Amino acid sequence: MAKENFASADMTRRQFLKISGKSLVGLTLSASFLSLVGCTQDQVDDGDVMVWALPQGLLVVNQDKCTGCQRCEINCTLVNDGAVSSYMSRVKVTRNLFSSRNGSGLYTDDHWTYFPDTCRQCADPACAKACPKGAIYADENGVKKVDEEKCIGCGACTEACPWHMPTVNPITKKSSKCIQCGACVAGCPSGALSIIPWEEVAAAAQAV
Amino acid sequence: MSAQNGINGWAGTILRVNLTTGSITREDTLPKYKPFVGGMGIGYKIIWDEVPMETEPFSEEAKVVFSVGPLTGSGVPCSGRTTITLLSNWSKGKSILDAHMGGHLAHGIKYAGYDAIVIEGKADKPVYVKIDDDKVTIEDASHVWGKGTFETNKILAGEAGPEFDVASIGPAGEHLLGYSTINTAFGNSGGAGVGGALGAKNMKAIVVRGTGAVKIADPVEHKNLCDYMIRDLVGGNNNHNVPSRPQSWAEYTSTVKNRWQGGPGVVWGAAPSGPIDTGEQPSGDIQVAAYRAVKGVFDYGDIVQKYIVKSGGCASCPVRCYSEYEVDVLADYDLPTKVSNTCVPSGSVPTAFYAKGCMHDFKEEGDSKIVIGLHGAYVMDDLGLWEDYANLGRDFAWCLENGVFEKKLPKEEYDSIPWQLMKDGDPRWLDEIMGRIARKEGEISIIGEGSYFFYKAWGLDDAAKNEWGVNMYDKIGGNNNVTYNGFPKHHSSEDGWQSGLLYNVMYNRDCMVHVLTNFVRSGSPFEEVIKPVLESYFGEGCVDAPKAYTPINENKVKLAKWCFLEKQWADSATLCDWMYPMTLSTSPARKYVGDIELDAKYMTAVTGENWTMDDIFEAMERISAMLRAMTAISFKIHEGETNLRTSHDRVPDWVFDKDPDFKAFEKGTDKMDRDDWEKSLTMFYEAMGYSTETGIPTRETLERLDLADVADRLEEYELI
Repeated sequence: MAKENFASADMTRRQFLKISGKSLVGLTLSASFLSLVGCTQDQVDDGDVMVWALPQGLLVVNQDKCTGCQRCEINCTLVNDGAVSSYMSRVKVTRNLFSSRNGSGLYTDDHWTYFPDTCRQCADPACAKACPKGAIYADENGVKKVDEEKCIGCGACTEACPWHMPTVNPITKKSSKCIQCGACVAGCPSGALSIIPWEEVAAAAQAV
Repeated sequence: MSAQNGINGWAGTILRVNLTTGSITREDTLPKYKPFVGGMGIGYKIIWDEVPMETEPFSEEAKVVFSVGPLTGSGVPCSGRTTITLLSNWSKGKSILDAHMGGHLAHGIKYAGYDAIVIEGKADKPVYVKIDDDKVTIEDASHVWGKGTFETNKILAGEAGPEFDVASIGPAGEHLLGYSTINTAFGNSGGAGVGGALGAKNMKAIVVRGTGAVKIADPVEHKNLCDYMIRDLVGGNNNHNVPSRPQSWAEYTSTVKNRWQGGPGVVWGAAPSGPIDTGEQPSGDIQVAAYRAVKGVFDYGDIVQKYIVKSGGCASCPVRCYSEYEVDVLADYDLPTKVSNTCVPSGSVPTAFYAKGCMHDFKEEGDSKIVIGLHGAYVMDDLGLWEDYANLGRDFAWCLENGVFEKKLPKEEYDSIPWQLMKDGDPRWLDEIMGRIARKEGEISIIGEGSYFFYKAWGLDDAAKNEWGVNMYDKIGGNNNVTYNGFPKHHSSEDGWQSGLLYNVMYNRDCMVHVLTNFVRSGSPFEEVIKPVLESYFGEGCVDAPKAYTPINENKVKLAKWCFLEKQWADSATLCDWMYPMTLSTSPARKYVGDIELDAKYMTAVTGENWTMDDIFEAMERISAMLRAMTAISFKIHEGETNLRTSHDRVPDWVFDKDPDFKAFEKGTDKMDRDDWEKSLTMFYEAMGYSTETGIPTRETLERLDLADVADRLEEYELI
């Protein structure tokens, strides 16, 4: 991928899929694209902005804007589980909030670095491959979902995912993972999470 | 966990950890504790049933109750509060009180499956309690004993793993200081002596992970309510509902300096990759709610923007009332540069530890308060030192100004204090002097045992007993004592006429009631918004304009009772009293009318039972009556007093004698009138069902609230 002028031409979802779940570091983005995403080139260069290519648009996580309120987890579980929980949430911020595996969080020396994280919707998903029951499938939009009829709650998907995103719900004993409902984004009070529709992404690219 | 046992709202289990025997037991929350709802209510009920008021507060026999409520962790905005109930070791009467803590621990406790954790007994060596859902263990804490709370929390969270939260006591608690806290997250603490109460049990910390859930009866309706609150009701912190500077959508700009400081051009200036503009934050837009309260700018003015990394705060809260800072100047003194706090520890208390003229600017004009304030907050939080809503600072400043330390401390001790650091305006002075107080090094530490014992020890409670001729309770100026019990006002008559003063004298600590100051200082115009909205709730004359007070009337009493009960509700539900109730709204379309019945709607959606505000207030009257009953009993036991009206509830002279050039009810003063105050008390006691002679709940009231056992015990003590 050309380092220069990414997101300034040929803006396709396929292009973003290649970097889905990663930071945008190393890319030079157009002013109109930066404005759309709501970040600066410096935030991109510092690796503070991550993107996920979702069917309905580009999911952007700006860790500099995350204030650790956990409302993404609340809305995720309220909408999808009818109960409120951090652990069961398909978007994960609590694991990054205290003493995270990254060495950041309130109880580390890097106190103010915490952010939400979620499923990358990998093209070649390790979770689905590891599932002994073939319960994880891609829907018509390419979203990886858990078939609860087939899931036996063994946790193989959790182990296989490099980011341990699928979570076995301790109450239902079924695995759950992000289905891209967008509740976390709609309820984020600081805009740390946002989804930009593909038409707007393309328009920003063409504006250059 | 609640979702497993089928209960909506409540977790369903009370956990008991006995540090003497090592036993860990559980009991059902319901039905026994339901009349007390949760949080403060459960805490008060447990202390009432199990800890006689004769008990020494910092003893093996005393208990400390951590509790949450049916709304905690339910997704309700601003429901991340933990209430901690204990006996006071520092205020007059050694009575019941509750401390409160934000951060994220409340969610952890709830998701681990507990409505309350009762700490009993005393360990024979330093321990911490580790809760990993239903796995509860008492762990060795010898490696963190003696350490500050920041390092302790770092070590224990690191040992436990990524999803574990932690709260710990510092040296102040370990040394059984009256003014001591427990600290969690960053800058979040529960004060009022919790540190010492746990230190007396050799309990250093609590470490919690909860993988469970709070089950919601009607999740669709509940999410609608949560979204509606953030969209239409929530402003800055303290729910100040109009922005402090012009925004294109806003009809009003704040009439006073308020806590909605975000807006175009106001930035998180130290964000890692360059400033983030807080921008416009129109009512109706959920995704900008977190940019409204840029608390640092409220605390220190615009020059602090360059130090703000981002906003932070508690679990579930969209308001974010903590600024999180990187203050590079502190590196010059080898001090931590990442600092955060949101209340008096970061403001008036640290600066009060410097004599007038000793503080100096560091890099630019006006930054001394930022550097000293924020380092001071860090020091206090690390030591687990409480400030009694700034009484610690006020008492220290008065002593400094009047040469009291020089006269009262032994010469050797006085000479050993590195006063030069103070004179140099060096931030490290705070580590030195606050460290001595927290660790009880020398006689100066008596100031950390609380104003009540400090004044008594040095004869400052009686003009005839000290060479300065002062009574610290009554003196006019630099004095906020609102009773003779050792705690200050917490937004009283200066904000809320007689109504504010009434609930300020009901508790055994600063009242922690923000209901009234929130709308008074909201920034909304008085005639157009504040007065009509409040009068629509409580009737004509319930609200006075600033410093234009009128004599007491029934509607002011109604307002006072509402505020009093709302505090109990917030700390029982648990909700943040800084935000609730939703008195006002941000919405021009709603004409800024809030929703003071939202709490009942939440309870109905969460529990699936039909809750009304009357149901809520009846339960809160029950808790209020227990507060008064326990206060009456402990005042009898420890002080020999049998009348709360004339002892516990007595208001110091300065409240009536300030502004000597004015009479009460003249325009330009907020002073109170003695006769009017006596009438106010009588009317309030009547409204609460308390004896107008003693301020103690009557048997009739107690029986109406299903508290016949309380009436019986009051009778045994000959108090009713």
